[in-house]
Amino acid sequence: MLNKEVLFKEIFQANSKKIYHLCYGYTGSDDSANDLMQETFLKVWQNLEKFRNQAMISTWIYRIAVNTCLSYLRVEKRQGKEELTNQIMDNKSEEVSEKPEQVETLYKCISHLEENERIIITMVLDELPYAEIAQISGITEGNLRVKIHRIKQKLTELYNKYERF
Amino acid sequence: MKDFEALKDIWHNQITLPKVSEEDVLIKLRKTKNGFANKLMMELMGIFLAIAVLMYVWISSPFKMWTTHLAMLIIIGCCFYYLYVQLKDYFRIKDDTLLNKPKDYIDYLKKYKSDRYKFNTRKYNIYTLFLSLGFLLYFVEIAFLVPVWVAAIGLIFTLSWILFCFFFLMKRYIRKEESRLEDMIANLERLEKQFKTEIN
Repeated sequence: MLNKEVLFKEIFQANSKKIYHLCYGYTGSDDSANDLMQETFLKVWQNLEKFRNQAMISTWIYRIAVNTCLSYLRVEKRQGKEELTNQIMDNKSEEVSEKPEQVETLYKCISHLEENERIIITMVLDELPYAEIAQISGITEGNLRVKIHRIKQKLTELYNKYERF
Repeated sequence: MKDFEALKDIWHNQITLPKVSEEDVLIKLRKTKNGFANKLMMELMGIFLAIAVLMYVWISSPFKMWTTHLAMLIIIGCCFYYLYVQLKDYFRIKDDTLLNKPKDYIDYLKKYKSDRYKFNTRKYNIYTLFLSLGFLLYFVEIAFLVPVWVAAIGLIFTLSWILFCFFFLMKRYIRKEESRLEDMIANLERLEKQFKTEIN
């Protein structure tokens, strides 16, 4: 049990920041990102035995995080809450003082992407190797490259548009 | 005008940090684990108690008619069925489908939702039918043992409760669940499209 806790702490410290970014990019909310990150690591703990033989533990953690994010959207919509994009915009305005303006704008632009695009681009921004992103999102590397190229263009255009106004 | 590399620099300069530590996760884990285990334990104890009481009544009462024995068998069968569903759902929750590819995970969610719907409708109808049949058969012998009006009141009360659950509580529950399901499936389908491997 103690070994498991030590291992878990190491895993948490190595991955929590990136998983938080993924959750933040997906939900656009600090509170939701913290909740989702916590949920992800609860599941990591529950599945830790299965991870032990895996070479790329971060890939599996990311996959749990992605699936947790997808389930989160279900709950949000089910509860009849406002559209996620609107929610993101509101959250952004609340947190405006906490973040530099450019980061603020970048998250705002990410919120305009589709769900799977948000997930992929946060991993690209965090510099995960393409092979790993392909494995996490379950698409081939060739398709992923095309997809990433489009998302990069889309995000850059959005950002420059926002910055002009 | 900024290019993607410039956006990457902005991303890496962000100082936003998670507010959750590994200790928070471990504390939450202990709480959640205990809470869930307790809830499940209470439900299982409740159903075991019901089965034990029914068994006791069946063994200790000198029932003479075959209808009563069949009734006890049906009602206990219903209890075991409920126990089976509870345990099956428990193991399904524990299933590690979260490690699946996103598309497979979405498929799993869709299947789970559709199974829930089947359980709430078709299977619940059969369950209610058998439970009502069990009580009807049980009251046949009771009608010979107690004054008819006592048996009639008992039967009316029991069947009214079953009908109230079936026509009011369950219908309302199904209506809510159905609209929730429709939303969820629409969202899942939209997401599934996004995760398709083809590039259009």
